[in-house]
Amino acid sequence: MATSNPTGAALALWNPGADEHDPISARTYGFWLYLIGDALLFCSLFASYAVLDNPVNAAGGPLTAQVINTPHGLWQTFIILASVLAYSLGTVSLKNGNAAGVQLGILAALLLGGAFLYISGTDLWALAAQGNGPTRSAFLSVFFTLLLTHGLHMLFGILWMLVMLVQVGVLGFTKDVVGRLLNLRLFWQFQATMWVCVYFYVYLLGGAR
Amino acid sequence: MNPPKQRRASLLLKPLLALPALLLSGCTMAGIRLFHPAGLVAGAEMHYTLILVITMLIIIVPTLLMTIIFPLRYHHSRNAKYTPDWHFSLTIELLAWGIPFAIVAFLCYLTIQGVYAVNPWAPGILANAPGARQPPINVEVIATDWQWVFVYPDQGIATIDDLVVPSGRVVHLQMTATSNMNGFYIPQVAPMVDAMPAMESRDAFELDQPATYTGFSTDFSGAGFSWMQFSTRVVPQAEFDSWVASVQANPNQLTYAAFQKIAQPTVNAGAKPAYFSAPDKNLFGEVMTAAMQGVVYPVPDSFTKRVSDNSAQGAQAPASPQ
Amino acid sequence: MQVAVDGPWSPLLGRLSLAAIPYDNPILVSTFAVVALLGIVIIGAALYFGKLGYIWREWLTTVDHKKIGVMYIILGLVMLFRGFMDGAMMRTQQLLADGPNSPGYLGAQHGYLPPYHFDQIYTAHGTLMLFFAATPLVAGLGNLIVPLQIGARDMAFPYLNATSLWLTVSGAALCMISLFVGEFSNATWVGLMPFSEMPTNPGVGVDYWMWAFQLSSIGTTFNAINMIATIVKMRAPGMRWFRMPVYCWSSLTTNIIGLSIFPVVTVALTMLGIDRYFGTHFFTAGYGGNFMLYVNLFWIWGHPEVYFLMLPAFGLFSEIVPTFSNKALFGYPTMVAASFSIGGIGWVVWAHHFFTMGMGPELNGYFSAATMLVGIPTGVKAFNWLFTMYRGRITYATPMLWALIGLVLLLIGGLTGMMLSASVFDYTVHNSLFVVAHFHCMVLVIGAALFAGVTYWWPKVFGFKLDERNGQMYFWTFVLASLLVFVPLFYLGFAGVTRRLDYIYNPALKPLLWVSEGGIGMYFVSLFYFGKMLYVSLRDQIPAQADAWGTGRTLEWLTHTPVPFYNFAVTPQINARDELAWRKAKGVEGVQPTHYVPIHLPSNTAVPVIIGALATVFGFAMTWRIWWLSIASLLAIIIVVIIRSFDKNEGYVLSAEDIAKMENQVALASIIAEQPKRPALAQVEAH
Ligand code: HEA
Ligand code: HEA
Ligand code: CUA
Ligand SMILES: [Cu+2]
Repeated sequence: MATSNPTGAALALWNPGADEHDPISARTYGFWLYLIGDALLFCSLFASYAVLDNPVNAAGGPLTAQVINTPHGLWQTFIILASVLAYSLGTVSLKNGNAAGVQLGILAALLLGGAFLYISGTDLWALAAQGNGPTRSAFLSVFFTLLLTHGLHMLFGILWMLVMLVQVGVLGFTKDVVGRLLNLRLFWQFQATMWVCVYFYVYLLGGAR
Repeated sequence: MNPPKQRRASLLLKPLLALPALLLSGCTMAGIRLFHPAGLVAGAEMHYTLILVITMLIIIVPTLLMTIIFPLRYHHSRNAKYTPDWHFSLTIELLAWGIPFAIVAFLCYLTIQGVYAVNPWAPGILANAPGARQPPINVEVIATDWQWVFVYPDQGIATIDDLVVPSGRVVHLQMTATSNMNGFYIPQVAPMVDAMPAMESRDAFELDQPATYTGFSTDFSGAGFSWMQFSTRVVPQAEFDSWVASVQANPNQLTYAAFQKIAQPTVNAGAKPAYFSAPDKNLFGEVMTAAMQGVVYPVPDSFTKRVSDNSAQGAQAPASPQ
Repeated sequence: MQVAVDGPWSPLLGRLSLAAIPYDNPILVSTFAVVALLGIVIIGAALYFGKLGYIWREWLTTVDHKKIGVMYIILGLVMLFRGFMDGAMMRTQQLLADGPNSPGYLGAQHGYLPPYHFDQIYTAHGTLMLFFAATPLVAGLGNLIVPLQIGARDMAFPYLNATSLWLTVSGAALCMISLFVGEFSNATWVGLMPFSEMPTNPGVGVDYWMWAFQLSSIGTTFNAINMIATIVKMRAPGMRWFRMPVYCWSSLTTNIIGLSIFPVVTVALTMLGIDRYFGTHFFTAGYGGNFMLYVNLFWIWGHPEVYFLMLPAFGLFSEIVPTFSNKALFGYPTMVAASFSIGGIGWVVWAHHFFTMGMGPELNGYFSAATMLVGIPTGVKAFNWLFTMYRGRITYATPMLWALIGLVLLLIGGLTGMMLSASVFDYTVHNSLFVVAHFHCMVLVIGAALFAGVTYWWPKVFGFKLDERNGQMYFWTFVLASLLVFVPLFYLGFAGVTRRLDYIYNPALKPLLWVSEGGIGMYFVSLFYFGKMLYVSLRDQIPAQADAWGTGRTLEWLTHTPVPFYNFAVTPQINARDELAWRKAKGVEGVQPTHYVPIHLPSNTAVPVIIGALATVFGFAMTWRIWWLSIASLLAIIIVVIIRSFDKNEGYVLSAEDIAKMENQVALASIIAEQPKRPALAQVEAH
């Protein structure tokens, strides 16, 4: 709103309606910030892994090469990437406003994520059953913690997907729902990235040692 | 003896110090141990401390003066020169970044030099010490909850809370701990170094004059921490030898089994010493290995009673004939 | 008594039993009596005046950034008081337990506190002061002012904002509960390792500490995200980066630091938790555990954390010094650069907290040098404030006095910090009272800044100033007390006195300990003036101008005093760095908007406070190993969040007429006024 000052020149002092911000962009930005925090969380875990992946810290127990299942790791990588792809295909339907397509994409992503977790879970379980559980040595503590932290994130993502399946059906594509769908995509992609880091760092580099 | 060069530096510096000198005069009351260094290592620490204090004074005095003068001078009642819109000056900004930068550069140089001089692993300053020509005295230090065990592997003796060393010899200390981390410190003599379970750390010093000092733990380790003192006695070589002989004759032997009893949490109020002959040859290694295998000496409930229980503070060192 | 977590366990109550209640400790029982009495008085008064509903509707469930800020500040002040009482107890113990012949009281051998109790007190003091006094006060002022200074309606995520607050409160609540049920940690505020591990510390104290710390750091991380998003996304039109007030810059840097460090400590604490609950071996000495890893992770968080708290203090000084010098801030661009430098260097200096751990001279040398670099940008800040005052027109209002003393303390604390960072010197005073004196100078800078900030912005929020006369008395007595307490500690540190001693062996130190104790007495006098200041100001309530100090320069002074709950009736257009000063220079500071448009605001919600309550229950249940309750409360949190996500409430709209009415009668819109119920948007559409 322009006002003139005592000398007559036009000055812009007030700007009615300028406070309507784009909620989805702010929301996505905030979620990016959260992901930075999450990335630092994984960084700290990787750093700890680097410190403890060491014969001294294995305390006579196994090291990376003896505890990983490299073929499974490769399968898991494919599965998680497929899951991200499925979700992305779902978001293509979002653009067309196609609720069923979105739900189908999410469902596929969810099932693939479940398969991923199943493989992880059985592998870790088998390892623990051999007496090489997380309490065996500091190295195994960090090995389990790293994988389980990632798994927990995945589990959370799956829960989130379940909620979104319902919300897309019940609420339709409201601003909130669309914002959540977009953030969930970021989240899911981020977990896949983290898995690739795990795969590279633990399975490939660690396994080669 | 201090090397002449450094002695001169300190002599030059001391008169410059208005504030530390003031503090020095208070020494007799509170015993400012830092300002009574003994030996080369502590002497070097003192030397660097003095330079640091002076540098800080050089910064603090003018800045503090500005902090006092500006608010007084430009108080509104004084109608001093007023320039409400003056808010940038490249010269001042350059000085504001540049002067601290120069001082910091100097300080960095100084500290890096200093940290090599007193490096507990191998103090540079001891390299040319008079005692450096003789073989060093090795002492293994084991911090338990809450006592200090000193093992002399070469002499085949051990003590509790009593560190006895000959003058004019470099002393090499090797440290570890049973369950908790402690800080090993003899203020006037040696730099502070942590003694940690399952880890080995080192310290070194050399003293020329016989004297007695008090050392203690500086890193909190539980209920008995405040009482973790030990005496450090520097004695002439001859006296040291006869002391060693007398302890060697002590019937009390420090086997690992005996050590495990001593390592039970104990508040040794008053730092009553105990002496042992024939310590287990590899006691230090065994303590390290045990810690790595997860052996800890848990603190009994009597130390954690809600309202005090006297035994929590009054417990004595294990009875041990002298 | 240590409540062993490997003791008896029952499915219903976990390790909890009547024996956990310290009814045989006169100190704790009397504290409980006082706290309980206070609680009853407060709730009773609320009931008596019929305000319970008001408190629930307008405060506990609020999403308004200003009310959240005020609640943060109240939490901070209450915890500051509790932390002070801990400090007073510690000083008294050290005074009494001095020398082998010192007497013992209340059953203690020396002094009146047995070691185990004393250790809990300083652990609680450090934890409370940093996480539940300083952090909430900083976060509270940030919440209050940053949106106002950038001309925003609210924070970017109001609902998340309330959640941050209530998570912080739940951490504080756990600390308070630990006083009366069980015990607090005795492992120092840094959580010494392996001392905090199960084999050496099987009590619930460490768990209380860990959960309180963990919950509050999650709250702080959320707050950091929110602040950054607010500053980046919500600035009023025309507010370019280099028009932003320096306080906002420092909030931005601080929260960038916060976001980057809190995840690290979350990991460190989680690992400790896994060790303690599942028997893994991250930080034990045995089984390959590496407790140096904890020390590193902790200080990678811990050192930037001190700048996380200090930068907002610097920002505050940068607002207050120009206002009371009636002059623009000197060197604005280098101020911004200095903030970023401090934050940046702060990340790479952590190891100066453990020079004595036996790193080689190369590492110690590096960390010494890196640490010293911080002195440069900090010095730049100090000189810029000095040159702001130079050729100004200075008035000594209370906020300015606090800022000046803050500057002096910064010098003393900072230069002793520089000495500590020289590892050759640190080898002689590490873990001594010298370090304690160093960091108390520094945290008192923060304290001074917070008192300054509260006094400075109080009129903006409540519409009347704090009483100047008593405020200045409070100031002088507080400064005197601090000098009396901490100057002797520098001296004692040089004398070689270690920190965390519950018994001091050298009776020759008595005179100094008495001086220090005199300072504690003086603190009580200052608290009297603080109370009187509050009382007199609340009694008189002399209305303040929009620009309460007459020389304000930044945007927050443009809106009404007290600030309406919607901040600005119409979003201002920003034309200059110090917008208000610019408008004053143009003579248009009084020009009001000619018409109003409806404002969209979020509705209140009970979800955050419920999450906070459930988080407290969760922390408590985990501490006591009441597994069913832990699982139930965790599930409940998830369910509450899911239910809330189905909520169609889109906030409400404040009509132009309502705004016009409130603009003419500001008291109607003040944050303490009760608002009529306004229908939520989604419901409106349904009709
Ligand atoms: C807000 C809190 C805060 C702040 C801002 C600081 C700031 C600094 N701190 Fe401090 N510190 C703590 C809180 C803080 N500290 C705490 C809580 C601990 C103990 C933790 C524990 O163990 O419990 C601690 C401990 C601590 C240690 C470890 C001591 C030990 O345990 O042995 C060290 C060592 O390097 C250190 C150094 C510094 C330095 C160099 C700065 C610098 O940032 C200071 C910079 C400021 C100036 C230098 C003054 C102004 C500058 C000028 C006037 C310009 C001219 C100056 C020069 C050119 C030098 N601090
Ligand atoms: C922000 C941080 C902070 C602050 C402000 C303080 C403030 C104080 N501290 Fe603290 N302190 C620490 C952080 C802090 N401390 C830490 C981190 C440790 C290390 C712990 C450890 O070793 O693990 C420590 C340790 C510590 C010790 C232990 C020394 C030792 O190890 O031997 C002592 C002992 O004297 C002490 C004393 C004090 C005193 C007297 C104050 C005083 O300055 C307090 C002054 C405050 C007031 C006078 C209260 C004012 C209150 C109001 C105005 C509000 C009133 C309102 C209502 C009631 C609603 N502190
Ligand atoms: Cu500390 Cu090893
Ligand atoms: Cu630090």
